[in-house]
Amino acid sequence: MRLITFVGIVLSIFLTVSCGERKTAKGKVYWHSEDGAPTKLDPIESATTYANRITTAVYDTLYEYKYLKRHPYELKPNLAANMPEISEDGLVYTIKIKEGVKFIDDACFKTKENPKGKGREVVAADFVYSLKRHFDPKNSSQGSWLWRGRIVGLDDWGKAAREAGTTDYAAKIKGLQATDKYTIQITLTEPYPQILYTFAMGFASVVPQEAVEKYGKQLTTNPVGSGPFMLKSFNKTKAVLVKNPTYRKEVFDIHYEGYDEEKHGFTGIKALHGKTLPIVDTVIISFMKQDVARWNSLNKGNEIQFGTIPKDQIDNALMSKKPPKVIEKLAKKFHFDYERESGFVFSVFNMTDPAFGYSDDPKRNEMNKALRKAIRKAFDWQGRIDVFYAGIGEPFVGIIPPGISGYSEFPKDSITRDVEGAKKLLKDAGWTAENLPVFEYPNAASTTATQFFEQVRGWLEEIGYPRKKIKQKEFATFGDLNKSMKERKNIINSYGWGLDYPDAENVMQLFYGPNASPGSNASNFDHPEYNELFEKAKPMPDSEERTKLYKRMTEILLEECVGMFGFSRTRLKLWNKNTIMYPTREILSNVFKYVDVIKKDKKKKKNTKADGNGNAGDANNSGDAGQKNTENKE
Amino acid sequence: MTNEQNKQETIKKETLWTKAVRKFFRDKMGVISFSIVCLYALIALGVACGFWATEWSELNPDMKNTGPSADFWLGTNILGQDIYQRAIFSTKTAFEVGLVVALVATMLGAIVGCLSGYFSGTWIDEFFLWIIGCIDCIPFYLFVAAVGFAVNTLAQNLNASFGIEGFEYFAMHIAMIATFWTATARLVRGEVIKIKHLEFVEAAHAIGVPGPKIIFKHILPNTFHILLVQATIAFVSAIKSEVILSYLGLGVKNTVSWGKMIAEATQEVPAGIYSNFFAASAFLFVLVMAFNIFADALQDALDPKKVS
Amino acid sequence: MDTLRYTLRKLLYSVPLILGVTLLSFTLMVYFGPDMAYEKLGKNATEEDIEREREKLGYNKPFVVRYGNFLTSVLTFDFGESFSTNQRVMDMFAETIPVSIMVALPGFILGNLISIIFGLWAAYHRGQRLDKTIMAGAVVGMSISFLIVVIVFQLLLCSDYGLNMFPTTGWEVGMNLEEFNILDYFEYVTVPAICTIFVSVGYNTRFYRAVFVEELTRDHVRTAKAFGCGPVRLLFKHVLKNSLIPILTRIILSLPFVIIGGSIIIESYFGIPGVGSVVYDAIVNGDQPITKAAVVCTAILYVFFLTLTDILYQVVDPRISLK
Repeated sequence: MRLITFVGIVLSIFLTVSCGERKTAKGKVYWHSEDGAPTKLDPIESATTYANRITTAVYDTLYEYKYLKRHPYELKPNLAANMPEISEDGLVYTIKIKEGVKFIDDACFKTKENPKGKGREVVAADFVYSLKRHFDPKNSSQGSWLWRGRIVGLDDWGKAAREAGTTDYAAKIKGLQATDKYTIQITLTEPYPQILYTFAMGFASVVPQEAVEKYGKQLTTNPVGSGPFMLKSFNKTKAVLVKNPTYRKEVFDIHYEGYDEEKHGFTGIKALHGKTLPIVDTVIISFMKQDVARWNSLNKGNEIQFGTIPKDQIDNALMSKKPPKVIEKLAKKFHFDYERESGFVFSVFNMTDPAFGYSDDPKRNEMNKALRKAIRKAFDWQGRIDVFYAGIGEPFVGIIPPGISGYSEFPKDSITRDVEGAKKLLKDAGWTAENLPVFEYPNAASTTATQFFEQVRGWLEEIGYPRKKIKQKEFATFGDLNKSMKERKNIINSYGWGLDYPDAENVMQLFYGPNASPGSNASNFDHPEYNELFEKAKPMPDSEERTKLYKRMTEILLEECVGMFGFSRTRLKLWNKNTIMYPTREILSNVFKYVDVIKKDKKKKKNTKADGNGNAGDANNSGDAGQKNTENKE
Repeated sequence: MTNEQNKQETIKKETLWTKAVRKFFRDKMGVISFSIVCLYALIALGVACGFWATEWSELNPDMKNTGPSADFWLGTNILGQDIYQRAIFSTKTAFEVGLVVALVATMLGAIVGCLSGYFSGTWIDEFFLWIIGCIDCIPFYLFVAAVGFAVNTLAQNLNASFGIEGFEYFAMHIAMIATFWTATARLVRGEVIKIKHLEFVEAAHAIGVPGPKIIFKHILPNTFHILLVQATIAFVSAIKSEVILSYLGLGVKNTVSWGKMIAEATQEVPAGIYSNFFAASAFLFVLVMAFNIFADALQDALDPKKVS
Repeated sequence: MDTLRYTLRKLLYSVPLILGVTLLSFTLMVYFGPDMAYEKLGKNATEEDIEREREKLGYNKPFVVRYGNFLTSVLTFDFGESFSTNQRVMDMFAETIPVSIMVALPGFILGNLISIIFGLWAAYHRGQRLDKTIMAGAVVGMSISFLIVVIVFQLLLCSDYGLNMFPTTGWEVGMNLEEFNILDYFEYVTVPAICTIFVSVGYNTRFYRAVFVEELTRDHVRTAKAFGCGPVRLLFKHVLKNSLIPILTRIILSLPFVIIGGSIIIESYFGIPGVGSVVYDAIVNGDQPITKAAVVCTAILYVFFLTLTDILYQVVDPRISLK
């Protein structure tokens, strides 16, 4: 067997040598990596960041966030011509869209008059159509909740379609109309200050009806949009985007996008000022779930150009943690940046579970509250962060993460570990090793998830929970775990919440009674005062008054001990020095268009010939074999 | 006449077994590997009785990913747990998985094989062959995964409607049993068809011994040498499959196993952390190796025709 | 003519087998399989939406109706669209099966060839030191877990810590004639192939050795030896040729699994978009159209190859009659 290995090695040395001269993709190629894969690219079902990244690149949204502006994030018009006109009562939005924007050429536009299937112009009615699709009972929309009950007549339209059994897209909806070719008018049922944010999400992408009719469910692999890129291929491990040759003229204005020399100087983005977007011809996105694989690939220098530092590598890769700084060797090869996520990880109890949540018996109710508090005291945030998040960052008190509007300070006792206090709480409430309920920790099967469980088990053992009563409830997939959560079968749910838009309302709705499972309120917390305050704050824009209400609501959550919160993870990003960009995966998604790649002069003549800024036309020829920059190999 | 024949049969059987034992003890490698297996079994027994490796789940937050030391002989993992204790504790898990799967799968295989062979040529035989054929033409890991999930769903239903708990713990065991028994059944069936035509069975028929008694009293014991070998093979396959299944997220629950440790190692090895990997692979490798050699030796000893 | 009639009869007999496989897989994977309704509707669905989604996915229909639908899709060979990606199942298979075959085949072929050579070699020197060394090597190979092999080879050959000669993951190989490049292919297939060979050689060598040993003890071989037949000629002409039946059976019957099953571990660890990982994900997620198609295709291929072996037997050994 050693012989075979040897032969293999010899053979492969020979091969690698000859691979250097391999075909190089034409034009500029940016090779991106993600730690997970999207399943569907139909906008109405593109619920993950992975999917959103692609849908927003191939479709247009009315608005999007400025590329470099953070905290607060700022919207800018994308397909819309400018920011909307909003009526004084905050109910009527009038939005003009850009004129002359075209969908890509596609077979779905083929008619007798248009035998080549030239893409037609994007009109206001396309947006109306795209939003209606979410409420079509034939579709399985994942984003309809964003507008449910918000737009006058839209829900009724869906209901009518359900009852009639057919969907009438021609039917007029009072609150959602195209008043002329380029004007959209939206009427809300009550003020919804966050609605513009929803129009920046992939869910609100503009899809032409022709494409839906032609491709049906296959739209997922045949996107027909007007975005900066077109999808060339897509499978479980890879997606390839190529420049849209008919994309409207868009120029990169770094100052408008929020450029700050101090923050962004190191990236070299300054040089991109005035460039026409998109800059690269091809974007390859590799979906690599395996940390190891991603890390190895990034370190090779000639494969993926962007990656995050995996958990197990952080100790090797960083020379300091506060603030994070990478070691010399990596700093030479890569640009480094870190970013706190717009979201957080937290654990909530299922308040409808009689053993840990509310109980009809007032005495038991108090006992359960004490039990929850004891578990919260056993919870060691620092330990969790040290092991699973490489010791970077600190937990925050309350539920609104710092940096998001509406954040306020609270005393730290809810995130402070106190084993003795926990034991005392249990003892005072009458809990003993015999009468403690079985603690079943649910998770989706993975090594890390098991380690999470083992850590929780360790903490609970320390406060006197018998090991036999702490069990792992393992689900094969996240889907199964999710189902169990939605059916209220778990006693505790630990998960991450990524903000859909940068506003605290998206957080507070997590505990609003009517949102209980299968809605987003996984704790099934249903507290009259909380609900009342939430409703009161709902139509309010971000203001001091609203922050006050949110503060009171958070106090209720802490007092009732709904769970353990929270912590915003810090992502450590590395990207190859030949790539100019400011990568992010928070809130923004249509970012590939800003990326540039420096093509170094190659020794071989034929390679230098491949023109970097090759205009549109030959983008189609760009091979997807990926770029092999041999000179990066040391 | 029948008495005499039975007596003769027993004498013959005894000589077969004593001969096997004698042959086995002549095989040096076989004896060594058998002792290793016994040693592992002892370790597992000790763990089960709570003699050692009791602190395998304890966290030491200040001792993350340390190398070997006086306190932690094989170092610690990311949670600061003692890898030596975990590896030792996993021996119990391995034996539990191996024994349960080997015993049940072999028993099931023996029963089905016997029935099928005894009734060969009838619809009963056809029926069993059909089931075996169906199972054999579904790819192994897909079948195991499917059975694993089905058992999980079933367990939830059982829990919800009858309050039976802990059934899901055996999802992996059941999945493996469901795939492993067919090989035994095929072999036993073949052997039974051979035995069926031997005189003593026909004699038993002649004097009116009922069918089931013939099958289980006279035929089954004569396939014992096959069962023994098949059980050792199933044991090895079970602990090896456990590694893959743990990696795929279908492994054991609430406890630690070599498979789980190796699955952890898939993330750690590239970061230059080898404790989990070495500890678990070494323990696993030695046991599997010993078992493989033991199974070979056993086969040699039990098969008089076997050419070595 | 005989062969044709025999084949037809054999195929007819296989109908119950295929029915059994569909029933088994339906019960396990579809009826007890995961429920996708929640996953399809995202984080903020209403009870009503979920009920409707269940209806759409057919979860509310009785067992018989659902199994009937399953059978219809088997008969028409139309498995519809994947629940989780909306792509047509057959399109997905057409895209992934060639990849799986290309990944698995080199390892499979080489693994068997090497094993046959080792097996012949060991059998010829039966009882001698060489035999013992090869067999000891086989046992060692059998005792190392596949996962460990994959980890070690990837570390040694594909990473910065080792020789770093091959891509870590992926499959950048053109899958049609114009784009296909043999060098790309070698680059991506080498490490998976080495891993496959490493784990299969142990088992295969033992199997083949046993077959050859059996053959070597036969009279005709002894006679040939007595007549001074050289070892190469003896092994290849007399031994190998006469042991073709068990070898062919073993190889052919594992082909369907190579084609449809792929290797889940290899594909998931090396990030290869093959059919193995697609099917595995489908089982895990409850993506029924894919599971159905996979199981049925494997069963059909299995039956096909089973029939093929029977026919091949006759070609290899005319003494076997087709009855």
